[in-house]
Amino acid sequence: MEVEFGTLSPRRFSQVRDFLLRQGLQPPAEPPGFTVVLREGETVTATGSLEGNVLSHIAVDPRNQGEGLCAQVVSRLVAHAAGQGIFHLLLCTKPENDALFGAAGFYPVARTAHMLLMENVREGAARFAASLPHPGAGEEAGAIVANCNPFTRGHRHLAEQAARACGFVYFFVLSEDRSFFSTRDRLAMARENLRDLPQVRVCETGPYMVSQATFPTYFLKDRARAGEESMELDLTVFAQCFAKPLGIRRRFVGQEPLCPVTAAYNHAMKTLLPPMGVEVVEIPRLAAEGGPISASRVRALVQAGQWGALTPLVTEGTARYLREEWKHGGK
Amino acid sequence: MNVTTTAVAGTMESSDVMVTMAPREGGIAIDLDSTVEKQFGRAIRAAILEELDKLGIASAEVRVVDKGALECVIRARVKACAYRACQCEAYQWG
Repeated sequence: MEVEFGTLSPRRFSQVRDFLLRQGLQPPAEPPGFTVVLREGETVTATGSLEGNVLSHIAVDPRNQGEGLCAQVVSRLVAHAAGQGIFHLLLCTKPENDALFGAAGFYPVARTAHMLLMENVREGAARFAASLPHPGAGEEAGAIVANCNPFTRGHRHLAEQAARACGFVYFFVLSEDRSFFSTRDRLAMARENLRDLPQVRVCETGPYMVSQATFPTYFLKDRARAGEESMELDLTVFAQCFAKPLGIRRRFVGQEPLCPVTAAYNHAMKTLLPPMGVEVVEIPRLAAEGGPISASRVRALVQAGQWGALTPLVTEGTARYLREEWKHGGK
Repeated sequence: MNVTTTAVAGTMESSDVMVTMAPREGGIAIDLDSTVEKQFGRAIRAAILEELDKLGIASAEVRVVDKGALECVIRARVKACAYRACQCEAYQWG
């Protein structure tokens, strides 16, 4: 058995893609940064990839199952991640693979009928939730989950509405650093813009909500393929690992007139969260200058250097941040 | 030695063990996950503690995923991981 790892050559990548398709898995569109391939000659017997802190596209030929190939692949991926200083890893798999990855040191985070999210830290999600600020006893909490790429008047409006309805509001900013504005910048903008609302606590999502692990398609350029199964997993993680232990009873969300993926996600929220004990409150989008305010509109203006046109869309806090703090190192 | 960074040694293949060590304050915390926990859990913990003691490591978070490794393998992986986590290359063989 030969072992190969790194970034795959186009020929090897096409073999791995065919192999994944034969195993009934959706292959990645492009070669991931790091892939492990086990093969006998030119025949792939097992593979797996690492994308940031997520193990993905792991498969073993059914004829070779029970030979410990999965452990070999996972070990290589974990060692490579360690070399990059990444120790907290997640993976998403079919629920029936529970024991297989359990044997490789992964623990379940949350599961749906079709998907299982696992991480290599025991009680990782529970410990993460416990590390967040908590509402007082008997106090009902609300939550907002937003990328804030960048923070707009729309985000501010949403937070104000939530703060009016709940004594304690979690304002989760996505931790995944794959957006135009860095996670550091997005968090700083949210904090600056919400400082005067004492009920609102700005928190990070960690790797658990709308992340590469739970909702990979959110970050793709071509977001048409955003899977309903991912949305269900993401919302289940929110309900079980966050809403339940933190006493979150309501999730506030802005109406989505533009982006089809976000609109589908909102729809999934309204269908799936209430049965899990979370009411969904959809707030109409603020409009300005003849259209709904959106972060993508703001980005287009920033990229075109039309700073003057930003005023109706962003708060004074964001405008100041973009002027004074933001390094134009953006992509 | 003092654990100053997170480090990994070993694999999760059969008969091996993967050890991850991270800085911690106030003693050693071992999180052991072993296929032979029932039979050898206590012996494995004792071997880990002994190796750490020999290296003068008083505080560390140690995560161990054991696939039935022999004791000499466990000791070797713990040592290798400890040197990496302490960023120390002055290996004391034997």
